[in-house]
Amino acid sequence: MRTFLYCLKTAVKNLGREKWINILTVLTIAVGLMILGAFILITLNLDSTIKQWSRGFGLVVYLKDDISANEENLMNEFFTKDSDIIEIKYISKALALKELQQTSGPMNSILEGFKENPLPASFELKLKVEALDPIRIKLKASQIRQLSGVDDVQYGEKWLSSLNTMTKGIKIITAVLGSIIFVAVAFATYSTIKILFYRRAEEIETLKLLGATRSFIRLPFLLEGIFVGTCGGIISISGLLAVYYFTTSKIIDFLPSLKGMIMFFPPEMYPVAPLAGAVMSLVGSFLAVGKIRY
Amino acid sequence: MIQLSNVSKYYDNEAVLKDISFFVDKGDLIYITGPSGAGKTTLLKLIYRAERPDEGSIHVAGWDVGELKQSTIPYLRRNIGVVFQDFKLLFNRNVFDNVALALRIHGLHPDEIKETVNEVLKDIGLRHKAHEFPQHLSGGEQQRVVIARAMVSKPTVLLADEPTGNLDPDTAQIIIKLFKEINARGTTVVIATHHSDLFDNTGRRVIHLKGGELIRESIG
Repeated sequence: MRTFLYCLKTAVKNLGREKWINILTVLTIAVGLMILGAFILITLNLDSTIKQWSRGFGLVVYLKDDISANEENLMNEFFTKDSDIIEIKYISKALALKELQQTSGPMNSILEGFKENPLPASFELKLKVEALDPIRIKLKASQIRQLSGVDDVQYGEKWLSSLNTMTKGIKIITAVLGSIIFVAVAFATYSTIKILFYRRAEEIETLKLLGATRSFIRLPFLLEGIFVGTCGGIISISGLLAVYYFTTSKIIDFLPSLKGMIMFFPPEMYPVAPLAGAVMSLVGSFLAVGKIRY
Repeated sequence: MIQLSNVSKYYDNEAVLKDISFFVDKGDLIYITGPSGAGKTTLLKLIYRAERPDEGSIHVAGWDVGELKQSTIPYLRRNIGVVFQDFKLLFNRNVFDNVALALRIHGLHPDEIKETVNEVLKDIGLRHKAHEFPQHLSGGEQQRVVIARAMVSKPTVLLADEPTGNLDPDTAQIIIKLFKEINARGTTVVIATHHSDLFDNTGRRVIHLKGGELIRESIG
């Protein structure tokens, strides 16, 4: 504990001694994390929009004309048991025709040409957003097709696939950008600590000769890195918040309908930025100090 | 206390120390002498494990120095105080902090550090310079700070590499007197020097090196 306190004191002193290089590193980390934060924010907003669109997604199960009441009941029971289905709506032949007549307008005369109602009865199934995976839905559709009394199952296969590709793409870009920023932040700290390490080479040599352990030598540098990374993180989240309020107020001036739709990170997520900065810088500092040999 | 057995050291296939063997008993004060390039500094470096012997073995206070793991070396060095030829003082710390560093490495309580450092600074006559920075001290004063730093943690062995190298004869005598006092308290002292007047008529053991070889032992 005493050694830790001494190392902490040394780290604070060194931060003061080398304040310009440390300030520069803090700003570099802040900019890096701000870019990453902005991208994550855009991703979250896009994801939320996509989820809103997806709420209307469903499967339509068309029934055979000769389906029995028992088959209909069994089918209804099957859908009720499926936890992915959040809403089941039965559309009878008559209701389907009525809805079509309401929407087709002048084309109604074509429908009048039919002696019998040509439309099938159906079940409209709404699925929860988490279940909107193309493979999962395809499997579900094929299972439903096997049920007795089912004529056909239709869903927006292409739309779902595009949506899925888009969501995956955004996630991949965020992950790649996140990794790049992680490396960049770690490298910024690495470079600074490496410079400071070289500047203190004589001091480190003396410490080694006096019997200082590796942790005694290393700890002040690691603490310095953690401090620099944490400061960078605090500045990044503060800056991002300022940019968010400024930008959204400008956007809402032009598009008032977007009010309340563009979201920011919840307050409980704010500490993630300094924490991420600290971890990234710690990695950079650790690599910079490297293996201490006697 | 210190046992060297058939120790050799090579740099670029050239021997800087050849088949050196000698023993220093606990509480002894001995001199190692020889011209520049004789291998005196290398010999001391081998003892505090700044270098590793290529042949032979070295034992210091029960440690097999050549076989030490990297992680164990600091603990050997805490038992050995070293007075370096180039002082190795930290110029961004004052006299007190330079001396205290050795105790901070040991993890001592700040009150204990303060008391011990002040005591040692008083012993070497530099109590009044505790808050001065090394660059504001004379060569002799800097040398005394180095000795204080080497002694403050009460090591069992004290090694001094040309401790009077840059000092005038009077200051050199003060420094040597300090070593004798340290030795009188039971610390084993090894002094490497090429100044024969330091050991002449002292009645102490002198090890003579030349071209990396131990050519003879004598009594000063």
